[in-house]
Amino acid sequence: MTAIDRQMDAPRAAPRPARNARQRKDTRTAFAFLAPFLILLLVFQYVPLAMMAKNAFMDYSLLNPDAAKFVGMLNFEDMFYFDDARESLAATFLFALIVVLIVIPLGFVLALFLNSTLPARALVRTIIMLPVVTSAVVVATMWNFLLDPSNGLINGVIALFGLPRQPFLTSPNQALIMISVMTAWQQVGFATILFLGGLQGVPKELSEAARIDGATRWQVLWNITVPLLSRTTLFVVVIMTVFSLQAFAPAFLMTDGGPNSSTNLIVYHIYKMAFVMQNAGYASALSLVLLLIVLGISLLQMWLLRAKWNY
Amino acid sequence: MTALRRPLALTLILLLILACFFAPFLWIVSNSFKPQLGIFSDVTPISWRTFLPLEPVLDNYRSLFERTNILRALLNTAIVSVGQVTLTLILCAMAAYALTRIKFRGSQVVFVVILLTFLLPVEAMLVPLFQVVSGLGLANSLLGVMIPWIASPFGLFLLKQAFEELPRDLEDAARIDGAGHVRTFFSIILPNVKVPLLTLGLVTFLFSWNSFLWPLVIAQNPDIQLIQVAIAQQGSPTQLPNWGETFAGATVATLPLILLFLVLQKYFTQGMAMSGIKG
Repeated sequence: MTAIDRQMDAPRAAPRPARNARQRKDTRTAFAFLAPFLILLLVFQYVPLAMMAKNAFMDYSLLNPDAAKFVGMLNFEDMFYFDDARESLAATFLFALIVVLIVIPLGFVLALFLNSTLPARALVRTIIMLPVVTSAVVVATMWNFLLDPSNGLINGVIALFGLPRQPFLTSPNQALIMISVMTAWQQVGFATILFLGGLQGVPKELSEAARIDGATRWQVLWNITVPLLSRTTLFVVVIMTVFSLQAFAPAFLMTDGGPNSSTNLIVYHIYKMAFVMQNAGYASALSLVLLLIVLGISLLQMWLLRAKWNY
Repeated sequence: MTALRRPLALTLILLLILACFFAPFLWIVSNSFKPQLGIFSDVTPISWRTFLPLEPVLDNYRSLFERTNILRALLNTAIVSVGQVTLTLILCAMAAYALTRIKFRGSQVVFVVILLTFLLPVEAMLVPLFQVVSGLGLANSLLGVMIPWIASPFGLFLLKQAFEELPRDLEDAARIDGAGHVRTFFSIILPNVKVPLLTLGLVTFLFSWNSFLWPLVIAQNPDIQLIQVAIAQQGSPTQLPNWGETFAGATVATLPLILLFLVLQKYFTQGMAMSGIKG
């Protein structure tokens, strides 16, 4: 800007200092209100994120993190070279898949029930929410005893029908299924609440009109309610998947990742690598992989939910 | 289905659901009042005595409180949970106020910076977070247990949404009366968002009380052990001399939350439903 321009601008710019002062003051006030939040966010989210990205390429232990050594891609090469990461990720994905396959249909049906006019709705809602508010530790402890081979409640029920007792958590074929069933049992109330929110957004006129036109209840459910809930369903699938990928307590408390690594969930594997084996660089690399998987799922969800089929 | 068979089928399904979700709780709580042999003898065959303590004894609870550090763990957890709820509410409300009620340059950028952290999976941050908190000298302190979660993006979004729904007229009137942002925040905004604050407080309390992996690694000193870690260290069925004591511990650790949930169920459910609304 030349001097002449500035001179020419001068008369018009006259009221500006007052407005600028006001704006500056507002900006200062805004950052004063935001500062505590932003500082903590920076220190406890962004700094760890940067450290993780760096540490994934280091070899170090948490006992002496200052003696870290740069090792390039070695941690990632190890992931391909040894079986542990692949096995752990496979177990974690299978776990998440079983949880989702149980939780989605069951949560949907329970939400239909809670959205109806049938009796005992309030009682059912309270009861299915009890496991949701109970901690993962207490649920895992509880199921540890429910699944006990000799004196557990579930084997007691099985014995009632004259069937042979099951080993459950010590069987390589049953352990992962059992911790998935347990996690689904704990989360189904949460899924139900989410589905219920979706159902309450479905306009009643649609199903009423279809009923008048002679559609059966089943047809209304299958051709109107289910398609209208596809956004909610995708959303619940993503929440449950992301939640399951981060499960820790079942492996820690019930199976120690076994038998034969069949329940070696990824977060438990990361925990063991970092805090027991003191191989924090490798644990950081595993964490980075988990982070990228979860980010990928979230981005996929956003892409699928872009406003197009918004009801 | 005939008119008679329908209610019957429905009742059976309902009873089955209730049994699946409620029986485990009932089994744990009633067996916490039984001696070891009673627990074992009552489970086969299953009958109503499996789920009822016919001659209740308090031995499990007595030994739980005398032999273990559970009282200390409960106290520590209460301090952490209440502290975390208080600080979360304050910080999130202040940040939400700035983002909804003050016009300033860069508000979009700030919002995106916060939004991005919403996508980070908490448990994947375990190792670097441990290093950050240890580096700050906060390992083995109650503050270290709660501090990483106080700037909660979920809390900010919940309150931001609530603040946006408040009519602007409220504060315009106050502004004309000469109220600054601090006074508007305290006397106009906060009194009008009590329900969202309660909802966020409850969800934060639930999250804090139930958290396990983070306290497990950051609070290893027995003096500052939290309740979930204490329960987790009671042992597994096969190596345990006394199941009843573990059941008593699980009951004690869960009771405060269940009571809170039963009293404030509506807000809990609302908060849980909101916690799903992300992305």
